[in-house]
Amino acid sequence: MALDIKKFIHRFIDEAREQLRMLEEGLGQLGAQNGDSELVNSLFRAAHTLKGSSRMLKLLSISDTAHSLEDVLGALRERKIGLDDATRDLMLEAVDNLGNLVEHLASQPNPASLPEKSVSLCQRLSRAASGDAAAPLADTAEFAPAQPPTETRPGPMLRSADSVRLKLDSLEQLIRLMSEVTISQAGLRELLDDARQLARNWDATSLHSGNDSRLFADYQQLYQNLRDLIGAQESLVQNLHEQSLSLRMLPLTQILEPARKLVRELGRELEKPVELQILGEDIELDRLLIEQLTEPVQHLLRNALDHGLENAAQRQAAGKNAKGLIRIHARQDGGWVSIDISDDGAGLNVDKIRQKALRQQLFTEEELAKKSSAELKNLIFLPGFSTSSLITELSGRGVGLDVVKRNVEELQGMIEVTSTEGGGTTFNLRLPLTLAMLRILLVEAGNHLLAFTAQHVVEMIYVDEQAMLDIAERQVFVLRNEFIPVFEPATLIGLPEKRSGIRPKADSRQQLMLVLQVQHEKIALRIDHMVDERDLVIKPLPAHLARQPLVAGIVNHDYRQLVSLLHAPQLFSLAQRSRGHTRNNIHQPDKRLHVLVVDDSLNTREIEKDLLEAWGYQVTLAEDGQDGLNKARTGDFDAILTDVEMPVMDGFTLTSHLRQEERYRHTPIIIITSREKESDRRRGIEVGADAYIVKGSFDQNSLIDTLKVLLG
Amino acid sequence: MKILVVDDDLLAAEMTGAILEASGYQPLIAENAIEGLELLGTNPDIAMVVSDLNMPLVSGIDFFRELREQGRQIPFILLTGDAPDSLLQSEPDLNACLTKDFDLAETLPSIVSQLLHA
Repeated sequence: MALDIKKFIHRFIDEAREQLRMLEEGLGQLGAQNGDSELVNSLFRAAHTLKGSSRMLKLLSISDTAHSLEDVLGALRERKIGLDDATRDLMLEAVDNLGNLVEHLASQPNPASLPEKSVSLCQRLSRAASGDAAAPLADTAEFAPAQPPTETRPGPMLRSADSVRLKLDSLEQLIRLMSEVTISQAGLRELLDDARQLARNWDATSLHSGNDSRLFADYQQLYQNLRDLIGAQESLVQNLHEQSLSLRMLPLTQILEPARKLVRELGRELEKPVELQILGEDIELDRLLIEQLTEPVQHLLRNALDHGLENAAQRQAAGKNAKGLIRIHARQDGGWVSIDISDDGAGLNVDKIRQKALRQQLFTEEELAKKSSAELKNLIFLPGFSTSSLITELSGRGVGLDVVKRNVEELQGMIEVTSTEGGGTTFNLRLPLTLAMLRILLVEAGNHLLAFTAQHVVEMIYVDEQAMLDIAERQVFVLRNEFIPVFEPATLIGLPEKRSGIRPKADSRQQLMLVLQVQHEKIALRIDHMVDERDLVIKPLPAHLARQPLVAGIVNHDYRQLVSLLHAPQLFSLAQRSRGHTRNNIHQPDKRLHVLVVDDSLNTREIEKDLLEAWGYQVTLAEDGQDGLNKARTGDFDAILTDVEMPVMDGFTLTSHLRQEERYRHTPIIIITSREKESDRRRGIEVGADAYIVKGSFDQNSLIDTLKVLLG
Repeated sequence: MKILVVDDDLLAAEMTGAILEASGYQPLIAENAIEGLELLGTNPDIAMVVSDLNMPLVSGIDFFRELREQGRQIPFILLTGDAPDSLLQSEPDLNACLTKDFDLAETLPSIVSQLLHA
């Protein structure tokens, strides 16, 4: 035979050390609960692998001992035996014994010289595997060594490990220092720019005498050397920084493993049989995030079990598997992680939510009628909302979903709920992988530098001045079938006016808009220009400023300037508030006519509503054609405004359905769409619409005039 | 001639590969059944599969059954760390089942050549 398989022995030694280290660590963690089947399974695999590869190398004493250890772990895995201290100690003894054998092999890489296996150890392992109590140490065979101890007998020795424990403090200190290095590197980069500028200016004066030109050449050489060095250092610093940040990363398993136990116990407590599926638990997150996510995730799981899942009888009556299913699905998406926590329960009951909101006097009946079902579902995140019979907290924990939402937003994340009646509820969390460093956009607006997390920025777009519309005393432009309200950042957040010598470009017919999105809502901020986009270190605010809801942190722009990172959700609530002011001057006609507005874009609905309300109409909103049709059938409307492209049912279909209803045969229907084609216009008239308005050429007066004319 | 070797223990996979290589075959190594299926897809000229039994997610037996379900009649040798007899009984369609043992360097090449000339 031509092959000498023994050349694999060194590889084997390396891998065996790794497997043994894992076994040792795992056996230590395999606490009294013994419920951790994942861990037992991985330990079993380690022993199995060790057995297999040693056997192929004819390392029989290792192979046999590993085999006996595998038997014990196999019995544990199949729950034939339980784990007591004696069994654990016995297995640790086997690991130590194997370690000695492997180290012996390392010193003499010849299978033939390997010591015999310890027969007594293997026997005791077999007995433990078959359920006999691990033999006490007083067993007579125990202390009678099979052979007298000799020089060759492997003794305990220090093994090099591939991981070390270190103090958390030192780690944090290291990362902090590293961040500072990154910032000072940015400073160097700036200085380099200055140096280049100096060279240009110098060159431009071109008044070099002989001496000067020598000096200039020297200077240029110096500049180039400096540039190369700083460039090289840049990538080193970046690597170093990334490496140091990755030291803080922990897998999601840290949260999700305890979740298994929590779900099992809760299921028993509530007498709801449940299965938990976890996907993507190996995704790694910043330790800080992991710590702070534990509470919200546990809360959502409790919620899913307590309120999401029906009891077994109800489930069977609904034709579902008696055993409920809870799924945690984590996915990585660039620098972000998205975690879905879903149950296959009854789904949120929109009617109950509506009643509850009414009872708590959070909204009036009229306001609620205007909300789409998605908006109603997200009411459960309001403070005080979820702590009642509808979404109660389990076992007396006074935390509502509003706290979950706040926790998630404090982590620069977002949370959203979706649900189908009878089909279950899904909470989606979206979080950055690390808080220490985020993708940041720096922009300048009104001579203020402002920073935004890239997550919230949908796009930046130049909008022609003529494309700006005034609707209900607000500035709005149309972005793909959607009205986007425009705000001045400085006014919105109350910054003082700051004039500088540099004016924005005189040709300002083109305005630059920064479009932000939080959940389904979008707003645009008018900005002067974008300054920079890069991954930046986020510094938390000092303690005495930490309660600033608007500022999520501080970033360094070059090394000279600190910039506030704005918290987008807070901007949105400011935008909401500023809108309230515009509602004062309402024209009050004698009889309030009731208009139904159907559009799948939240922004568009809200803006059309504002406009109509400003003119004294009463408005109800619907989020798609089907929703609109249902509301039209149960309500009584004097006019209907609808978009064309919507999910479930489009506006054309809605219009033709409405025309078949006796009550709406002659009610004015106005189609408002971004479709400009003549064929669409004709189709709209064919299905029975009275008017067709294109959003791009939207003019509030024309809409109001059209309405007035149609309503007589 | 290409032979696909599937084993989650890379050391064992490489040793198996080395045995096959010494007998003049060209081993392609996959760490799991899914990777194995991919390699079979990209290398239609693979003449045989040698797979470990005990692997996480998809075991060697499941891999074998999957291949047969897909209608692939490629010869399949199962390697196992334990006794092979009961396996052959439960899955008699297996072409061969061998213990992963120190004499694999002799048993494997002889079975491979038998199967290829059958």
